This record gives sequence, C-alpha cells and structure tokens, in this order.
Amino acid sequence: MRKQIKSEKIKVKKRPTAKHKLQTENSKPVELKQLVCLLGNEALVKEYSAAFQEKGIAVQELKNLASLKTSAKKITAAFELTLESNGQKKKNLQAFDETLPEHVPIISSSLTETILSQSHLLKHKHRFIGIAAFPTLLAHPLVELAPSIHTSKEIADVVTALFESIKKETAMVQDGVGMVMPRILCQIINEALFTVQNDVATPKEIDDAMKLGTNYPHGPIAWGEMIGFANVVAVLDALFQSHHEERYKVAPVLRQMAIAGIFWKKEA
Amino acid sequence: MAISIGIVGAGTMGAGIAHIAALNKCTVSLYDINEEVIRRSVERINFEMKRSVDKNKISDDDMKQALTRIKKRTNINDLDTCDIIIEAVLEDLRVKKDLFKKLDQIAHHTAILATNTSSLSITSIASATKKPERVVGMHFFNPVHLMKLVEVVKGVRTSAETITQTIAIAEKLGKKTIVTKDTPGFVVNRVARPFYTEALKILSENVTTVEEIDRIVKKSGGFKMGPFELMDMIGNDVNFSVTESMFQQFFNDARFQPSHIQKQLVEAGMFGKKTKQGFYNYEEK
Ligand SMILES: NC(=O)c1ccc[n+]([C@@H]2O[C@H](COP(=O)([O-])OP(=O)(O)OC[C@H]3O[C@@H](n4cnc5c(N)ncnc54)[C@H](O)[C@@H]3O)[C@@H](O)[C@H]2O)c1
Repeated sequence: MRKQIKSEKIKVKKRPTAKHKLQTENSKPVELKQLVCLLGNEALVKEYSAAFQEKGIAVQELKNLASLKTSAKKITAAFELTLESNGQKKKNLQAFDETLPEHVPIISSSLTETILSQSHLLKHKHRFIGIAAFPTLLAHPLVELAPSIHTSKEIADVVTALFESIKKETAMVQDGVGMVMPRILCQIINEALFTVQNDVATPKEIDDAMKLGTNYPHGPIAWGEMIGFANVVAVLDALFQSHHEERYKVAPVLRQMAIAGIFWKKEA
Repeated sequence: MAISIGIVGAGTMGAGIAHIAALNKCTVSLYDINEEVIRRSVERINFEMKRSVDKNKISDDDMKQALTRIKKRTNINDLDTCDIIIEAVLEDLRVKKDLFKKLDQIAHHTAILATNTSSLSITSIASATKKPERVVGMHFFNPVHLMKLVEVVKGVRTSAETITQTIAIAEKLGKKTIVTKDTPGFVVNRVARPFYTEALKILSENVTTVEEIDRIVKKSGGFKMGPFELMDMIGNDVNFSVTESMFQQFFNDARFQPSHIQKQLVEAGMFGKKTKQGFYNYEEK
C-alpha cells in the first residue's frame, strides 16, 4: 500500500513552470501552479501525462482513489480517461466531484457515454466536460471537447486555456457518443475488418492499398492495433447502443481481435 | 519486348494510363468514340509531360520518345495486336458489356481484357465475353501518373495466369499492386466509404459544422484533407453515385447508406469545385 502511494508522488517539472491565474474570493489574482491529475485508461494516462510534462506542467498519475485526498487541494484539473462507461469510471467521477474544490474542471472521456449522462446525477455538474481521448490522437495538434448542457463557460474556458498552454487547439462539438474523429476512424477500421472478414484481400494488402490509394496517415488495421481493437469495439458498441442502427454493427473478426488483443493474421 | 497496350476511352483515366504506359516504354493505341477527345488527350499528355520535364523528373528526350509511342486510333479494330486492352469508358454496365463483347471479337486470342471500373462488377462485365478467364479489373487512381496503386481485381472466372500477367504489366507501368476479390468497391473505395458517409452522418446529426469536421479530421486525425473538402474535389455527383451504387450492391446494408444532405447538393447542381459550389463556395469574390 505504502509503496503504491510513493510511486504516485507528484512528478517534479524541469521546465519553466506554467502558471495559471485564478480569481480568489476577494478578487486578488493569485498565481497557481498547475497540477493535472490523471486517472483511467493506462495508455491514455501515459499519453496525456507525457504531453503535459513535456510542456512543463506537473502531473499526478493516480493509480487509485486512495491517494486523491492528500493532493486534492493542489489539483487544478482532473482527467478521467476510462474509455468504457463502467462502474469504476462512475466511482472515479464521483470521488473527483466530492474531493476536488468546486472550481476545478473535471475532464472525462465521453466516447462511449455522453458527458451529460456521466455527470447529471453529480453535485457539481457544471464543471464536467467531455473529451475525445482516444489512443494515438494526442500526437496531433487538436483536441476535441464536448460540453454538456450544464457545463459552465468558465470551465470550458479554463480547459481551453489549459490545452493552449500545451500548444493544442481545441474544437467544441455537441455532446454525442464517439464525437467526431474517433467515430469516423472507428468506422473506417470496422470497414477494413469487414473487408478482411469477407476475404476480399489480406490485412496487409488492405493497409498497403489504403496508404497508397488514399493519403491516410496509417493503414487502418495497423492503426486499429495501435489504438487497441478493444477500444475501437467499445466506441462502435456505444454508437450502436445510442443509435440503434445497423451501420454500427461490429465486424465479427474485429470483435475476436478485441478479445484476443492481437492482430489477426490471415497467413497464420 | 515492348508491351503493346490498347486503351479504350481517352478521358481523364484513359489519358492518364496512356501517359504512364508511354513513359514506361510500352506502345500505346489510344482509342475513343470521340476523335476530338483523343486529340485533346494527347495534348494534355504533352502538357503534363512538359511539366515533368520542367521539374527535371524526366528528360526532354524521354518525353519525345514517349510521345512517339502513343498512336491515335480512330478504328477500334486496330487494337487487334495489343497484349492488353484497358477499358476506361464511362461508368455504365450496359455500355461496358457491349464494349467487351466487341473487344472479345477483335482482340488477339491471348490478349488480356481489363476494365478500370470503380464500382461495377468485373464478373458481370466478363460475362459478355467468351473468355471470362482473360477478363480482369485494373483499377487505377486519379491522377494516374501520381497515384502509385493499382487494384488488380479477380472476377469469379478470372484465371490465375491472367492475374499474374496483369500484376506484371501494372508493375511495368511503375505501379504497386494488390489483388482483390470482385466485391463492391474492391478495397480502397469500400474502406474509404465511412470517411465520407460517417462525416455526413455526423453533420446530419448537427454534432458540428462542415468547417469544424474538416478541421478536426485534419488536425486531430492527421488526414491531409477533410471529408467535405475531398467530396467537393471528387465531385459530390461522382461521390454520391459511388456510395449509392455500393449501397445497392450490398443489398441496402446500412453501412453504406447514402446521405440526404449530399443528395440535395447533387440535386441543386452543387457538385463542388467543378461547379464552384458544393459544401464550400469557390466563387471568386
Ligand atoms: N475519374 C476517376 O477518378 C476514376 C478513378 C478510377 C476509375 N475510374 C473509372 O474509369 C472510367 C473512366 O472514367 P473517366 O473519369 O476517365 O471518364 P471520362 O468521362 O473522363 O472519360 C470517358 C471517355 O470514354 C469515352 N467513351 C464513352 N463511350 C465509349 C465507347 N463505347 N467506346 C470508346 N470510348 C467511349 C468518352 O468519349 C470519354 O472520353 C470509369 O469506369 C470510372 O469509373 C475513374
């Protein structure tokens, strides 16, 4: 137990400190050291942690909720990056909301459940904002955010400024499952796997063809593997749930790979 | 030995194929029902090659040699000695089947008959001939001289030998190949479909605007172009009809459902760049 807490100690930043201005009650602006706390999907926590630290913003990677209380007062933004809408995510969000000061924004992955549905039963629903946190996308210069109907303008502004401070632009989209880029991407990957399923060509040929015939940054199957096939399936299943439309049905071979966690090799 | 390539249909794609074939030391017989089109195509090839010379991609001599290899043909019967005939006429099954019936009669008995169709069934086109084992899909991408890929499409009755020979010819033209089964959209047009259809679906649900979707796709996904810019460039008429055709060929599978938004643009004559209006406005101010 003790060991775990130790490993979660706040990482010391080496670069110039990013400061964040905050109005106190008596309206005196104070300089506040940013501390971003991250919890949830391991791969995403790693990506986000690296992106913030690279720009000199201190990060606390939480392994569990036990250590939240000790640092709660210092946290300036909290990320819940669990992709699936499961019981643990619910607990995490609730703990964030109960423990963190009221002005601290809570940014939660909202690809499989809208941010409205995640936050509407919580006390400070104004401070929740959805994010299209999806593996591989943070390599690019734009981050997609989704406010719910309760999200306050101040919170949206603070989160936008936080991303600006690490040189990311933001796009605000309507609060819907899959948001924009992950939704399109998952459907492309799904169709690539339907094409494998139908034995139209081999996975390698499909990836080669897409790289040469279109200008996609990666072959869709290799991209799916980088993202994690289980994550792709989670988004597609959520789209199916929210729309009840056959267009979001998952290619059986994709679902199998999501379970096996590996790239299905035709040759094997 | 130099390969002799016949091309039927000297439009955008036919001219592009003639261009790379001639540069890669093949003799080219370029035919179109419209003589004027052949003349203009050769002019365009001339123009494109000059640009390559200016960019030092090919020498002046390469260009001169290549141009002498292109023969303008006004009689389809003159394609009788070609090793392969590549068809690139308009995308209409009836027209293509009639043409393949004719080509079957005039072509050398060992010649390969290839179609550049994007969305029609190779198997169906091949059924118009007596030698379906010699019929194959050879799907080039536009602009042909820049796009490296050819999808070699195996119809139900296409022989393995025909596939091997077609791959060799495509490689001779400087292309990379993949072999695909004859299913709607083959690989590229099929796997790329959600790039358009899902973007349209997101737009129809008002998740955000055309401009924002394009910005997000480029800046959060790393794509070179946004879906709406790309549809405007391809032409909404062409893009819509490919989606519609695939939707029908997949027996109305919801994955390929066309979009009302795009249909209305087509009905309004807003095809994109070529009509100066589409998802975006391209009129000069
Ligand atoms: N344009 C693209 O991006 C693209 C890409 C890949 C494949 N294709 C396919 O290539 C084919 C040609 O497309 P395009 O864009 O070059 O069309 P196009 O309209 O530019 O050219 C078609 C040409 O065919 C000629 N033609 C029509 N009927 C004919 C006949 N019976 N005999 C001889 N010539 C005839 C026309 O005069 C015209 O010049 C289509 O099957 C299309 O689906 C097009």
